[in-house]
Amino acid sequence: MSRSKLTGADWADRLSEDMDEARRQAMSEHIGKDPECRAEADAIDRLLKETAAVRSEIRQAAASVDWESLPAVIADRALAAGDRAARRAPAARPWAWLAAFSMKPVMAGLAAGLVVGAAAMYFALRTPGVPADRDGAYQASGEFLVRAEREMARRNTLDYLEKSQYVLLDVFESAGEGPVVPAAVRTERARDLLQKKKYLNAQLETLQMAKAKAICDQIETLFLELSQIDDELPAAELGRIRSYVEERQLLLKINLVKKELQSGV
Amino acid sequence: MSDVSAGREVGEAEIAALLERIQAGDREAFMTIIGLYQRKVFVMAYSILRDREDALDAVQETFLRLYQKAGLYRPGRSFQGWLLQMAKNISIDSYRKHQRKRREFETTRPVEEIPVAAEPDRDGDSAAADLRGAFARCVDTLAERQKMVFVMRHYNELQFNEISETMKISIGTAKSLHFKAVQNLRKRLAPVLGIEP
Repeated sequence: MSRSKLTGADWADRLSEDMDEARRQAMSEHIGKDPECRAEADAIDRLLKETAAVRSEIRQAAASVDWESLPAVIADRALAAGDRAARRAPAARPWAWLAAFSMKPVMAGLAAGLVVGAAAMYFALRTPGVPADRDGAYQASGEFLVRAEREMARRNTLDYLEKSQYVLLDVFESAGEGPVVPAAVRTERARDLLQKKKYLNAQLETLQMAKAKAICDQIETLFLELSQIDDELPAAELGRIRSYVEERQLLLKINLVKKELQSGV
Repeated sequence: MSDVSAGREVGEAEIAALLERIQAGDREAFMTIIGLYQRKVFVMAYSILRDREDALDAVQETFLRLYQKAGLYRPGRSFQGWLLQMAKNISIDSYRKHQRKRREFETTRPVEEIPVAAEPDRDGDSAAADLRGAFARCVDTLAERQKMVFVMRHYNELQFNEISETMKISIGTAKSLHFKAVQNLRKRLAPVLGIEP
């Protein structure tokens, strides 16, 4: 040590004063002999002297502090601040339980996904219906109302066809040997059926009952003629109507449509 | 100046128990912790702020924050290191705030009110104060860990084993950081101290 320069580790140990007596002695001897190391040691000592001056200044500043009462002052401030914070805290809210969950991004994403998904399911699967009535009246779904309307149209059409069939049979019987229905009665029935047809038209069109509508239209044309004839039909006229019915196989078609309507097709 | 002045050394278990009581609002426990560490926190704050009142404000702020964040302390970590780190951060924030205020103040003051930087006939006390100011500024410019070790060693007067425990570094690293800090200060203060660079 007496010949070689001091290393960084040597200086670090000297600074930390972590050396045994023999090493300290050897180092002091080396510093005394080596001008470079002595200059370095002097510079460090000068620096540490200045450090001691700052330390002294800090001690002086600390000496004037009332350390005995400071803890109480700080504790009072802390407790007062805590009370203020507690007073500012809002009353428990209904959704306060949510605070128990730390809403990390993944959790927040999942929660948002559930909410959006539930809303989408609701709008996609809900049954289209009549909006809620404020009077609390009976409410029915749109599908039920459509079914009910179709059922009424089916029954009305069946009734119309059946009555039409009777009128047509009366006409045929008048043309043949059977009992004759008075002309006035037949005309009246034809007019009733024409009225009924007007009401039926809307239903048949709305509910797309094309086959029934076609046969009903043909019958209507015939009844229009019959309704205008109050007197007994001449044989030629009856024959013409009969051939019209037969050509178009109206009675047969009426039977077929009736069967279809009766079976609910 | 150290815990010895506060009367006794404290173990990790005792600190943990005190912090638990503080969380429950125990005033006595809080005062005990303050009594144990207030001087160390003051020294850390003063070494940065260089002003008694500012340092005391920083001490209060540090313990108020401890009161709010006592639950964040994790056993196994050095409580002293955690607290001093908190004090250092608060002091640096305060220093920046004051520096900004000083700058604003100086720019709005008339020129004749601003003190002259160097007076030829100043006395010895003011020269010494300037030297201490320069010294403090140089300590501030040290790297973070070097500064912490230097302040703890020379101002808080902690032993290297205490510093290593506080900073969670080995004793060898603490000594090495201290040596580097002294070397850097020596270089930077060479013109002021009148020594060879």
